[in-house]
Amino acid sequence: MTALATSDASSPCDAGSDQDVAAAPRADCIADSAGGLTFDVTDPGGEGAAYLLLRRRDAASADEDVRLPLSPAADGRLRAALPSSVELAEGRWNAYAEVGGTPRRLAPGVNDLRSLVDRAPSGARGYIAVRIPYATKQGNLSVRSWLRAPHAEIGELDIAGTSVTAHGRVYGTVLTGAAFAEASRRAEPERVERYEVTADGVEFSFGLRCDVLAESGPGPWDLWLRPAGESGPRIRLARLLDDVADKKQIFTYPSVRLDTAAHGPLDAGPYYTNDNDLSVRIREASAVEG
Amino acid sequence: MHISFLIHNAYGIGGTIRTTYNLANTLAEQHDVEIVSVFRHRDDPVFSPGSRVRLSHLVDMRKESPHYEGDTPDALRPARAFPSAEGRYRQYSALTDRRIAEHLSSVSADVVVGTRPGLNVHLARETARGPLRVGQEHLTLDSHSKELRRQLRSVYPRLDVLTTTTEADARAYRRKMRLPGVHVQAVPNPVPAPGIEPADGSQKWVVAAGRLAPVKRYDLLIRAFDQVRAERPDWRLRIYGGGKQKDKLRALIDELGLYNHVFLMGPAHPIEPEWAKGSIAAVTSSLESFGMTIVEAMRCGLPVVATDCPHGPGEIIDNGVDGRLVEVGNPDAIAGGLLELINNDTLRRQMAGAALEDSERFDPARIAERYDSMFSGMLTRGSSFGGRVRGTLHRTRGALLNGAYAVRDIGHGAPTSGIQTKGSTA
Repeated sequence: MTALATSDASSPCDAGSDQDVAAAPRADCIADSAGGLTFDVTDPGGEGAAYLLLRRRDAASADEDVRLPLSPAADGRLRAALPSSVELAEGRWNAYAEVGGTPRRLAPGVNDLRSLVDRAPSGARGYIAVRIPYATKQGNLSVRSWLRAPHAEIGELDIAGTSVTAHGRVYGTVLTGAAFAEASRRAEPERVERYEVTADGVEFSFGLRCDVLAESGPGPWDLWLRPAGESGPRIRLARLLDDVADKKQIFTYPSVRLDTAAHGPLDAGPYYTNDNDLSVRIREASAVEG
Repeated sequence: MHISFLIHNAYGIGGTIRTTYNLANTLAEQHDVEIVSVFRHRDDPVFSPGSRVRLSHLVDMRKESPHYEGDTPDALRPARAFPSAEGRYRQYSALTDRRIAEHLSSVSADVVVGTRPGLNVHLARETARGPLRVGQEHLTLDSHSKELRRQLRSVYPRLDVLTTTTEADARAYRRKMRLPGVHVQAVPNPVPAPGIEPADGSQKWVVAAGRLAPVKRYDLLIRAFDQVRAERPDWRLRIYGGGKQKDKLRALIDELGLYNHVFLMGPAHPIEPEWAKGSIAAVTSSLESFGMTIVEAMRCGLPVVATDCPHGPGEIIDNGVDGRLVEVGNPDAIAGGLLELINNDTLRRQMAGAALEDSERFDPARIAERYDSMFSGMLTRGSSFGGRVRGTLHRTRGALLNGAYAVRDIGHGAPTSGIQTKGSTA
C-alpha cells in the first residue's frame, strides 16, 4: 500500500470528522397552502437561546431581522415556524441558525413545497404573501419573499404572431369598468401604451402588440394593471403563486422576429424578470439566438 | 464479514456513487464496510457516507493538496492494466495501475466489490487469494463496445460473482460472455424511502426527471403531451434535469404552443419533493439500463407510465397494476397511457397505492439482504474446498479460460491490447 493510502486507512474517521467540522446545520422546509413555512433544523449545538434568523440581503440595518424561536422537536431536531401572518418584506432573506447570539448560515435540506403548487388563495386578506425557500448558488438556504397589496397574478399567455394575450386574476382590489392595462418603456417610463381589459369577476385578460412596442426600438417594457382606471392603484403584473422561486428560466415564451425599418431586425416577446414580474423584451436579433 | 468496495470516484455525483453509498451504508449495519475510491478530487464527498463506512482514496487529484499526484510522471503515462476500451480509460494511468494493484494484492477483506468494468478487470486479475471477487455491472453488456466486451471476456471468468441490475442483462452475460463458474446474478439498485410524505394524487401534474439526453426521448413525451392537452388542458407536465437537448426541447415546446403546459424545470436535488408535486410519472426512454427514476417515483407514490424499453422498466413495473408499460417510440401510445390514468381518478389512486407497496422491494435493507445472503452462501460454499485452496483452483481455471479466449480472439484478428500482455505475465 502507498503511504497515502496507509495514512488514510490508519485514521478511518478522517472523512467523518472533516464532515462534522464542515457541515453547516441543515434545514428541511415544509410550506403550507396559506403561505406559512416550517423549518426543521439539525441541532447546531452550542449554549443559549436558539433562533432561526432571517436577514434581508439588502437590509439597511439589523432592525429588520426576523427571529423565530427554535424549539426541540420529537426527532431531535429544532423546529421554527414562520406563519403567513408574520410580515416579511419583499426580497431575498438569508437563513441562519442563531445560538447564544452566534448566527451560522443554514444549508438547504429537503424543501417540501407541494402546497405551493397551483396555489389559489381566497384573496380575503387583501394582500398576497409568498415565501419560497431555495438553495443559493453558493449552496446556502435563503427565502424569497413577495408581499403585494393589491396583486395581479398572471396565468396563461397566448401568443399568436406579434399578439400576446395575458390572462390573470386580481387580489385585494376589484376590477371596475374603467380598468385598463398598460406597458411602460423602462428607459422612458412616461412612454406608455394602454390596453383595454376584459373583466369577469376577479379574472381579467388583455391583449398587446409586440410590433407596436418595437417601434420604439430595443429595450424592455414593464406591464401594469390599473383596476380602477386612472384614479386607482397601479399594480405590477407578476406570477407569484406557485413553488418556483425564479420564473425567468422556466416560464419562457417564444419570441417573434420583427423586421423594422427604423431599428433593423428585432426579437420581441413576453418574459418574467428576476423579480417574477411580467415584461416584454425587445432586443436586437442576434444570429446566435436565431 | 469485511466488505471492500472499489469505486472510480466516491467524491462526485452520479448514479453509481449514490447506489454504492446506499448499499454500503445498509451493509454496514451488519458488517465491516469500506469504500476505496481510486480518485479523490475534492475534500468532502457530495453524498455523505454513513459514519460506519470507512472512506479512503488511492490517488489524490486535489490540486491544492500537498499530496496532489495528478502531474507525477506515472500519472501521465497511459494505463496498461485498466482496459483500453473502457469509457474512463483516459483518466487511468500507470499510477492508478500500480495503486490499484497494490491495494488489491494486500486487501484483507472477505468480499471485494468492483463497481465498473475497468475496476472489475483489476479485481479479477490482481486480488490476493481469499476474498470473494464481485464485479458489478451498473450499465449493460449491450452498451459496451465490441472491443470492451472482448477485453472483458478474457478476464471476467476469474470473477466469483458478476451482478447486473436487471435479469435481462444477467441473461445477456450468461448467453454471450461464457462465464463458466462465475455466479451471474441480477440485483436491482437500492432506492431508499423518500424522507417526505408520498404524493396524494390530487395534483394535476405529470412529472419526468432525468438528463436531457437523446436516449431519454423527451421529444416524444412533449409530442404526447400535445395530445394530452387537447383532451385535458387542466393537466400539465414538468421535466426536471439539465442537458444538451435543452434548446431543442425548448424549441419543440414553443413550436407546439405548449408553453403554458410543459415546463423544463432544470436540475433538482433532491428530486423526491419534486415527484411529490405530481400524480403521474412519465419515462419515455429508448433504453434504461435499470430505471432508477421509475423506482424513485414509485417510492414517492406515483404510478409510472413508461416505455417498455430494454432493460429495466418491464422488470420494475407490473403492467396495469402499479403502472403502465407502453410501446417504445410511439407518442400516441404514451399519450394513451397518460390519459388512461388522467381520466380515471380511481385507477390512478389504486395504481399509486400499488406503486408504493411494490417498490418496497428496492429498499436498501431488502437489497443489502440479497447481497448478504449471496456473499455468505458463496463464502460458505467456497470454504468447503478449504479456504485459500478455493482461490487457487479458481485462479487456475480462470487463467486457462483466459488463455483459451485469448487464442480465439487473436484468431479473429482483433488487435492485441496491453491487457493481454499484462495477462500473460499475471
